[in-house]
Amino acid sequence: MEKPRIGVYVCWCGSNIAKMVDVEAVSKEMEKIPNVVIAKNYKYMCSDPGQDLIIKDIKEHKLTRVVVAACSPRIHELTFRKAVESAGMNPYLFEMANIREHVSWVHEDRESATQKAKDLIRAAINRVSFHEELNRRSVQINPATLVLGGGIAGISAALEIADAKKQVYLVEKTDRLGGRMADLDVTYPFMTSAQQLLKPKIEAVTHHPNITVFLESKVEETFGYIGNFECKIIDRQGKETAIKYGNLVIATGLESFDPTPVGNYGYGKLANVVTSVEFEKMLRAGKLETSEGKIPRHVAIIHCVGSLNPDYHEYCSRTCCMTALKYANQVCLALPGTSVYDLYTDMRAFGKGCEEMYADTSHRQVMFLMFDKDDLPKVRKAGTGDACNLIVEMNEMLSGEAVLVPADMVVLMVAAEAQKDAKTVSHAAGISMCGNQFFIEKHPKLDPVATTTDGVYIVGGCQGPKDIPDSVAQARAAAARILATITQQMVEVEVTTAVVDEDLCCGCQTCIKVCPYSAIGFDAEKKVSRVNEVLCKGCGTCGSTCPTGAIRSRHFTDQQILSQIEGLMRPGKTEAA
Amino acid sequence: MSANFEPKIVAFLCNWCSYTGADLAGTSRIKYAPNIRIIRVMCSGRIDPTFVLKSFREGADGVLICGCHPGDCHYHEGNYRCLRRYHLLQKYIQQMGIESGRLRLEWISASEGKQFAQLVNEMTEQVRHLGPSTIKTVMETLAV
Repeated sequence: MEKPRIGVYVCWCGSNIAKMVDVEAVSKEMEKIPNVVIAKNYKYMCSDPGQDLIIKDIKEHKLTRVVVAACSPRIHELTFRKAVESAGMNPYLFEMANIREHVSWVHEDRESATQKAKDLIRAAINRVSFHEELNRRSVQINPATLVLGGGIAGISAALEIADAKKQVYLVEKTDRLGGRMADLDVTYPFMTSAQQLLKPKIEAVTHHPNITVFLESKVEETFGYIGNFECKIIDRQGKETAIKYGNLVIATGLESFDPTPVGNYGYGKLANVVTSVEFEKMLRAGKLETSEGKIPRHVAIIHCVGSLNPDYHEYCSRTCCMTALKYANQVCLALPGTSVYDLYTDMRAFGKGCEEMYADTSHRQVMFLMFDKDDLPKVRKAGTGDACNLIVEMNEMLSGEAVLVPADMVVLMVAAEAQKDAKTVSHAAGISMCGNQFFIEKHPKLDPVATTTDGVYIVGGCQGPKDIPDSVAQARAAAARILATITQQMVEVEVTTAVVDEDLCCGCQTCIKVCPYSAIGFDAEKKVSRVNEVLCKGCGTCGSTCPTGAIRSRHFTDQQILSQIEGLMRPGKTEAA
Repeated sequence: MSANFEPKIVAFLCNWCSYTGADLAGTSRIKYAPNIRIIRVMCSGRIDPTFVLKSFREGADGVLICGCHPGDCHYHEGNYRCLRRYHLLQKYIQQMGIESGRLRLEWISASEGKQFAQLVNEMTEQVRHLGPSTIKTVMETLAV
């Protein structure tokens, strides 16, 4: 085998890495390793000049392998693969060492951090020596899209794709389209009727020649990979419809927190303590009345019920502050003599036109009272002498006084939370959830609607609490991504699949039993296993099961990983030497 | 045992949950002991027993395996395969004279950066307490 010519590039990531790792010392030491032709350090390897540095060196020094020590390969592996490819090198002859997320950001001692960086890079140099050229494979894309969830996000994605003359299957678990938006009276901050906005969209979906709607239906499992998925849609009667599609949009939305466990507010025990969901219903019905059928003279609205609370949900539910302001305005308009008390812990009016709405509301018959999120207000029944139904006891933070708030009705602004069946959906679609059961995007900043499973997108409330414009923006972003891939007609699929060395295979078929994708078949004539590379997702379980070592997991071969271990453990020595 | 003993721990992390969890510890700037060296595999099911034995053979004082929580495997069931192998490996290493505390299998999800950092600290202390692994020297003496 010809000796590899390796280039090593150590990134400073500004000061992110350079502050904790002596990048100069690291690159100097790497240069001494046999087969390392060149080792450099640079401020930002991922920047254009950084990438150009590699490209130039590949040509100038005839490099055959490249190692970049920088951030996590989950962030920039693709960037650098593309860079080396543009210099004519096979992209799989590249390896990344993670010295930011796994070193500089998590350690405090510069000396040991530098040592660790050296070990990781040495391991990467060893590994890359055994990398093989892999050729990209492309498959044709099925232009149809499956959208799960018929709320405003699902509707927006479906329309965008269908308007581009592509087939959409829209699956909704309830008996109607519209999702949470269909329950809303008006929207903030411009008080437009939600139904006026939504109805034409639902009409458009229902009558669209390119959209097939399945109501009261579900999808339990999906099979395949980007461009070539398939699943069965099951309706209420159990009737199954098999469909094939190239991309999947998950828009399964969110649900409302049940405030019964929050003892302070007496929900479920005290009459006239209602959730924001119930209050919205009253507004839609145009009937603002207490349970006794009287007009409420005092309405108290309590924010952050189940949000910003480590006992329930630590996160901010994002829409409740503005919804509370919307309620305050609606009450003031509908019931001119009624006083509104808005009990908040941290007013978050961040959207376009929202801070303005907050300012407007403060000029109305609304009193804003601030409480500490660690010292929640308490709702109790009013005494016989009081001229109201309920009393809210609270410590008002700005005045520093204990305040008794009169109320005929208390509205609890309940948190938004993930759907109870989020886990089922995540398993069916092969995507991950974060700690609070919302689905995880591929990258929180740079790839917010894609997931780690190619061809599967998450939009709207299933990704985290969000309002209508954000949901629509995400849905249309996903639709644009999907239309872009469909337009290309072909999509590249993973090449890091398993492969059987027929000379070594003893025909025991153990691999066939462990493969989760039924991607391995048995050639009865030759008595060997054979991998269907289109079905294989490259998990490598067969490779570590094979008793004869006949199965190789491409790009994660035994040799590559064993050499990586040696690199970690043998300072000053490398396999390639 | 020397108080200055700094154990070297090799860790095998699956790409989808645990490696991402370790990345999250980084993006969250949660500090942990620098004794760990992470190797990425696509699935904990890929972790061949040879990788673990090789790590000990090369002088690792501890080996950590992390995968997705049961039921959360990106490849459906690779972590269960890993669990089975782990139990066998535990028996095997103990017969070789390697203490069971030197090998751990833990589930770390993509959102458990904090738990990952805690785990690394805990395991580093555990292995520090066990002292340096002697298996490398033994094998070199036996010239195997």
